[in-house]
Amino acid sequence: MTAGRLKHVVCPFCGCLCDDIALEIKDGTIVRNENGCAISKSKFLNHTRDRMETPSVRIDGNLVPTTLEEAVKSAARILASAKRPLVYGLSSTENDAHREAYRIAEMLGGVVDNTSSVCHGPTVIGSQESGEIHGSLGEVRNRADFVVYWGANPQYAHPRHMSRFTRAAGLYNETREIVVVDIRRSVSAGAADRFMQIEPGFDLEVLGAMRAILRGHVLDVESVGGLSTSELYELVQRMKAASYGTLFFGLGLSQSRGKHHNVDAAIRLVQDLNRYTRWTMLPMRGHYNVTGANKTSTWQTGYPFAVDYSRSYPRYQPGEYTAIDLLRRDEVDAILNVAADPAAHFPGRLVRELGRIPIINLDPKQNMTSLVAAVNIPTAISGIETDGAASRMDGLPLYLKKCVEPPEGVKPDRDILRMILEEIGRSET
Amino acid sequence: MTDDGVQVFLTTGRTIRQGSSMELGKLTREYQEAVAVCELDEETLVSIGVEDGNPIRIDSQYGSVVVRAKLNRRASSGIAFVPCGPYANVVLGPDTGESGMPEFKSIPCRISAAHGAPVLSPRELLLSFVSGDE
Repeated sequence: MTAGRLKHVVCPFCGCLCDDIALEIKDGTIVRNENGCAISKSKFLNHTRDRMETPSVRIDGNLVPTTLEEAVKSAARILASAKRPLVYGLSSTENDAHREAYRIAEMLGGVVDNTSSVCHGPTVIGSQESGEIHGSLGEVRNRADFVVYWGANPQYAHPRHMSRFTRAAGLYNETREIVVVDIRRSVSAGAADRFMQIEPGFDLEVLGAMRAILRGHVLDVESVGGLSTSELYELVQRMKAASYGTLFFGLGLSQSRGKHHNVDAAIRLVQDLNRYTRWTMLPMRGHYNVTGANKTSTWQTGYPFAVDYSRSYPRYQPGEYTAIDLLRRDEVDAILNVAADPAAHFPGRLVRELGRIPIINLDPKQNMTSLVAAVNIPTAISGIETDGAASRMDGLPLYLKKCVEPPEGVKPDRDILRMILEEIGRSET
Repeated sequence: MTDDGVQVFLTTGRTIRQGSSMELGKLTREYQEAVAVCELDEETLVSIGVEDGNPIRIDSQYGSVVVRAKLNRRASSGIAFVPCGPYANVVLGPDTGESGMPEFKSIPCRISAAHGAPVLSPRELLLSFVSGDE
């Protein structure tokens, strides 16, 4: 569309995938975003800003503009000659691009990992240990009378999560109780009915104590992880008395000491609560399609992330085939980075490693990885300049719209990846 | 006040400004101003002798970085917050405990005044890492 109004647009920023965005378009540019949060507005209204203007390849240390065809050839050459290539990212692009990325990883005998390994990877591992007790966000909005946010700050990370699902007008708007459990008083704590501050790194102990209380054990200590035993008894009793409760948890749980053990303990607490009443739990997924990345990876490879094809068949092992661990062990000799920015989000010591490895970087915009990449290829922004499917944090698939045309000559991730795949195929025959 | 600074647990996470400015571009001034900050309580600011907006140094066993102090009236002593991004990354640990997940939360750090020290731009910070000059 070059001018007019688009309704029911899905926002491609966070895992809420808000699907009520209305856009006004003039001269092929988005000029107004209704209903979106501050971040959504920034994403849509600045989609033309700071773009990667042309494909480029690094020659003698400098990035030199080139054609798309030459950039694809360089990318294929680097990947085909690598012994341990890593395909990484995928959480900020749509599902069809994922399929091509898995095909490349399989063809190369490489590793494919998505950004969930540095966000809710431990959640996936915890779920593989103990199961999932899912409910949809619609169910939460219409049925839940008790909500806990644990280690999550939705007002900043998912700005409309509370207003759309847990503080939304409806049956339980007046009576629903919201509790925030965190190590610091976040802005979300101020929007909740109650804030419970625990000591850093004590999530597992607190969850274990809550399970013990729920099972009728008497705790012979005065406090656990910064919370008094009486506070914990009261919280457990109120959770048990709920008609329908939901535990939302963020990276404060999955990234803290204990990691997947924390998530495992939270799942078991919610399982225990289901002996008395109805409880569900949902991870607060960050990137808009990180849930989709886990799903498509499972459909295509059998595993949700950290998949190694070096033996021609897929193997799964977090801690071995996860991006951070591969870099830490200095195993990787080429990276195909799709819609992620590891140079901005990996620990500093590993960023130094990124500077030594040839990176093929696919992204619509300039980012920190583009500064150190060997090959940069600009792409269309999924959900703004190209369509595709993505999964909301509760697993609901939603279709992203193409709202405006991408810059001239700029293609979607899926098309670029297909070109790279075909070029690798040509070089191998 | 102490020249040695204070010991804190540093944690990372998203903020509205971090998310909004990221969409303007990670090499922009807006992004730098959103993520090159460390939120602290008033007592900690007083104890290290800095005011809101002054440069401070964060040291961990993994690295050292200069950012601007930011007063957070909701914060409590002992916990510092830096928005996720390249500045926080400098002091984070790469060990995953065989989980795939590095140490993004509750990193033991020392916070001290860094009077007159420059806050590097995202580009300068990255290039200092890649060249090994950090």
